[in-house]
Amino acid sequence: MTASRAWARLALLGCASLGCASLLAGCGTQAAKVAATAPPPVTAPLSTSLVTAQGTWAIAVMGGPAASENNFWQLFVRPAAASKWSLVTPAGVADNGGLVATGAGSSLLVGFRPSQDLAFSPLAASADTGRNWSTGLLDADLANVPDAIAATPAGPELALLQDGSIERAPTASAAAAGLWSRLTTLSALAASAAGSRCGLAGVHAVSFGQNEAPVAAGSCVRRGVAGVFTEVGGTWRSAGLALPAAFGRDQVQVLGLAGTAAGSTVLMAAGHSLLAAWPDGARWSVSDPVAAGTVRASGFGTGGSAWLLLGGGRAETVAGPGRSWQALPAVPAGTATLAPGPGGSYEALAVAGSKLTVWRLGQGAWAAVQVIKVPIQYGSSS
Amino acid sequence: MPGMNSGLSPDDPTVVAAFRSALLHQGAIALILLVFLIMIWATARTWRAAPGAQPEAGDAGATQGDEAQAGEAQAGEAGARAGESRGRWLLRTGFGTIWILDGILQAQPKMAAGLPSLVIEPTAASSPGWVQHLVNWGATVWSYHPIQAGAASVWIQVGIGAWLITAARGRWSRLAGLASVAWGLTVWVFGESFGGIFAPGLSWLTGAPGAVLLYVVAGALIALPEGGWLSPRLGRLLLAGLGLFFIGMAVLQAWPGRGFWQGTTHGQPGPLTAMVQSMASTHQPHFLSALLTQFGSFAAGNGFAVNLAVVIVLAALGAAFLTGRPRLVRYAMWFGVVFCLAVWVLVQDLGFLGGVGTDPNSMIPTILLFAAGYLALTPAPQQVPQTEEVQAETGTPAAAAAPGWSQRLRPRALGSALATASARSVAAFAAVAVIVLGAAPMASATVNRTADPILALAISGDSETLDIPAVAFQLTDQNGKAVTQASLRGKVVLLTFLDPVCTTDCPIIAQELKQAGTLLGAQDKDVMLVAVVANPTYRSTVFTQAFDRQEGLAAVPNWLYLTGSTSQLAALWRQYGVTVENLPAGAMSAHNDLVLVIDRSGEIRQELNADPGPATASTKSSFAVLLTQYARQALGGS
Repeated sequence: MTASRAWARLALLGCASLGCASLLAGCGTQAAKVAATAPPPVTAPLSTSLVTAQGTWAIAVMGGPAASENNFWQLFVRPAAASKWSLVTPAGVADNGGLVATGAGSSLLVGFRPSQDLAFSPLAASADTGRNWSTGLLDADLANVPDAIAATPAGPELALLQDGSIERAPTASAAAAGLWSRLTTLSALAASAAGSRCGLAGVHAVSFGQNEAPVAAGSCVRRGVAGVFTEVGGTWRSAGLALPAAFGRDQVQVLGLAGTAAGSTVLMAAGHSLLAAWPDGARWSVSDPVAAGTVRASGFGTGGSAWLLLGGGRAETVAGPGRSWQALPAVPAGTATLAPGPGGSYEALAVAGSKLTVWRLGQGAWAAVQVIKVPIQYGSSS
Repeated sequence: MPGMNSGLSPDDPTVVAAFRSALLHQGAIALILLVFLIMIWATARTWRAAPGAQPEAGDAGATQGDEAQAGEAQAGEAGARAGESRGRWLLRTGFGTIWILDGILQAQPKMAAGLPSLVIEPTAASSPGWVQHLVNWGATVWSYHPIQAGAASVWIQVGIGAWLITAARGRWSRLAGLASVAWGLTVWVFGESFGGIFAPGLSWLTGAPGAVLLYVVAGALIALPEGGWLSPRLGRLLLAGLGLFFIGMAVLQAWPGRGFWQGTTHGQPGPLTAMVQSMASTHQPHFLSALLTQFGSFAAGNGFAVNLAVVIVLAALGAAFLTGRPRLVRYAMWFGVVFCLAVWVLVQDLGFLGGVGTDPNSMIPTILLFAAGYLALTPAPQQVPQTEEVQAETGTPAAAAAPGWSQRLRPRALGSALATASARSVAAFAAVAVIVLGAAPMASATVNRTADPILALAISGDSETLDIPAVAFQLTDQNGKAVTQASLRGKVVLLTFLDPVCTTDCPIIAQELKQAGTLLGAQDKDVMLVAVVANPTYRSTVFTQAFDRQEGLAAVPNWLYLTGSTSQLAALWRQYGVTVENLPAGAMSAHNDLVLVIDRSGEIRQELNADPGPATASTKSSFAVLLTQYARQALGGS
C-alpha cells in the first residue's frame, strides 16, 4: 500500500468516525427544554378558614416536606366567644393528602383527601367543636381544592371528586354510611347548555345556593365568562354571573365558593386580577379587582366577607357586597392561613415545623397572641 | 423506576449470609464435580493403558474417531504450546483472567442485594425511558432472586474465564469466545445500560462504551476461525476499528457544550473533576485516594489543558492505528499502554475500588485489544496454519478423519475420547460445568414470576414457631355475617390485623395475603385469609367494604375482614398482643403488623412479623411466597 493511499483511507475513516461521534453526541445530549410561555394557572391551596355557628375553624399544613410524607394537615378551632385556638384534627386517619371542611348547620364536616395507598376519602363530623367526631365515607377521591365538600343544615351533602365529578348524599346519615350517588360528571356538565356556553374546562368548587340548590363552579375556556352553575330540577343552568366588560379578554377561574342564605359568594381569578362576587337577587355584585399574585390561602367570613393570602406577605380582605378590597399589613413570616378574628379583626396562623403561632391584627400591627405546639408524628406515614 | 431493586440494604445480614452459603454450597458442588471428572479421566486413561483393553473388530468407526479426537487433543496441546497466534493468545488469556476477576468481584457480600440499587439503577438513571424499561426487566429478575442471580453471575464469569484460559485451540476455544460474547452482551445491556451510550456525558475516560462491550469484541475475535489470525489482515482490521473508535471518542471529548473543557462550572466541578472526586471519596488505600484527590484538584484548575491533552492523544492514537503501519503502531501501542494505565489509575481508580465495583473498567480491556491487534498485525514467523499442524501431528487430514456425531457419542468412543483428552480439555470441560452450575438456577429464576422468600425473611426475621390455641372470638364479617373462631375450624387461617383507612402497610399486607391465596392454587379452598380491624374509630363495615373494594378483595371467596364493637376489638387486640392506638395531629392509627398461621385444629403454629419493609414489588411477592409456604406447612402438618 502506498503512503498516499494510506492517508486517503485514514482521512475517509476519520470522517466516518467524526460522523458517528457527532451522532452519539447528539444522542447523548439532552435536548434543551422549551421554555413555557403560558402563565401558570391560579390555584387555591387547601389552607383556609371558615366560620360556623360553633366557631372559627382553620386548616393548615404542618410538619415537614410532602416528599417524605411528614406533612400533616391540621384543623384548629376557636370556639365562638373564645379567644384561644385548639388543635382538633380528627384522629384515626393519616391526613397527608389534605383536609377539606365545610360547615353543616351546627356541625362541621371534614373530608380526608386520600394519600399513598388509600384510594377513598374518610369523613368526620363534629357538633361539639371537635371534641367528638363521628365517621363517614366517600368511596372516591376528593378533589384537591378547599371547597370540595358542601353541606346544608337539613342534610344534603355534595362532594367534588378529583376527576371533576360531583357526588351527592341525601342526608348526613347517608353520607356517614357511604351512600353517595353521582350528581354529574365534568363531561356531562361541560356538555350541558350552560357548560358548553363557557367551554367548561374544570370544576373547582361546590356549594349550596338558594333553596339548597347545588352550585358548581370552575374554569371556562371562553374568555370573560365565569363558570358558575346551579342545578335545578336535574338541569344545570348558568348562575348568571356576568363580569364587567373590562374582563372580557380574560380567562376566569373560580377559586372558592361559600354558600349563604342569599346564594353563593364567589372568589375568582380573571387574568391578572382577583375578584369577589355576591348574588344580588337575580343579578350579581362584583367587587373591584385586586392585583393577582400567588394565592397561598383563601377563605370566607361572615356577612359575605372574604380574604386572600398572597405571595410576598400580602393579604387582602373584602367585607362584603359593595365594599372594596382592603390590604392588611404584611403578614408575619410563615403565615399559612388567615381567619376572621374577634371584633372584625383578622388573625394570621403562622407555621414553623410543628409550632403554630397565632397573630392578631390590632391597631395596624400584628401581635402574637398564642403558640400551639402540635405533636406531629414524624415518620408515622412513611 | 419501580421494581428495579428490592429496597433492602446491600449489607442486609440475612441476604449476605444466604449469598455466602449459596456460594459455598455451589462451590462445593463444583469441587466435587471437578474431582469426579478427574477420577473418571484418570480411570479412563488407566483402562486404556491396560494390556487387555484393545479395540474390538466391530469398533472400526470408534477407533477412527478415537484417533481423530486424540489428534485434536494433541493438536490442542501443540497449539497451546506454539501454534496459536500471539494476538489470540493474549486476548484469550487476558480476557479469561479479567472474567475470573469479575467473577470474584461478583462474590462481594453486597452484590446479591446491592447490585440493582448500587450498580444497575445509577447506571440506568440517566438513560432514556426505553433503556430503563429494558434494564428494569433484568433488574427485576435480579431483585426477585438475589441469591440465585448473584451466585450465577459468579460462576458464569469464573467459568467463562477458566474456559477461555484452558481451551486454547479448536472448536471448544471458539465456543468459549461465543460464550464470552453472549454473557458480555447480557451484562452490557442489563448491567451497564448499554454502557451508557444513550445517556448524556458519554466519555472514553469514564469507560464508554462500556467495558463489557470490549469483552464482547474480544470474545467475537476469539470465536473467529483460527486461520484468520495467521495473516496480518485481521490485525489491520482490528486496529482500524480501534482507530475509528479512538477518533470518535476524541470528537466526543472535544464536542462543545458537553462540559469537558471546563474543570469547574459556576463553582461546580466539571464531569471529569466530579468523577475523579467521586472516585477519590470511596473506600480505598490512602495513597490512591491522595493521588486521585491531587489529580482532581489539577483537573479542576486546568480543565481545558487536561481535556486538550486527552483529545490530542486519543486522536493521535486513532490516526496511528488507522495507518496499519507496524512501526508506527508499535510506538502508538506502547504510548497507548502508558496513557491507558494513567487514565485507569487517575480517573477510573482501577475500576473496582470502593463501592461495589464489578470489573476493572475499560482501560485494561482496551490495552489488551490494541496489543492483540498489533500482535496480529505482526505474526510471528514460526506460526503455521492449524490444518497443516493437525496433519503433521496426526498424519491424516483433519476433515477426513472427523467421525460423525453418532459415532462420537457411542459409549466406547466417549470413553476413548475421555482417555485421550488432554488436561486442558478436562479443565475446559470442568469450566463449562461451572457455567452450567450457575446458569441453570438463574434460568430457573428468570422464568419464576414469584420472588425468593429470603427477602421477606430478611425483613421480618425468623418467624416464631408456636403451639398455642387461637383466641376465641365472635365478630362480624364485611357482609354483616357473624364469624367465630370455632366456625373457622377445619381450615388453615392466615390471620392479620388491618386498619381499613390505613395509607401504608395495611393495603400492602392485604395484597400479600391475596397473592398468597392465588399461589396456593387448589389448596386455596382449605385456607382462610382473615383480617381483623385495627382502628378504634373507623371500624364499621362501611370501611371494611370500602377497603375490600380498594384492594380488589370483595370477590375473593376465602377473604374475611372482621369487625365488632370497640370493646370486642380491644379484647381481641389485647389477647393477641396487638397494640392499637389513635395517634394525634393527623397521623394514622398505629398498630403492629403481624400474621398468625392457625392450623385446622385452631392451634397457632407461627407468628410472622408482617411489616412490609420497603414494600417493593419483589418484597411483596416474597412475603406472599413465604405466607404460602407457611400455609402449606400448616395444611400438611394438621
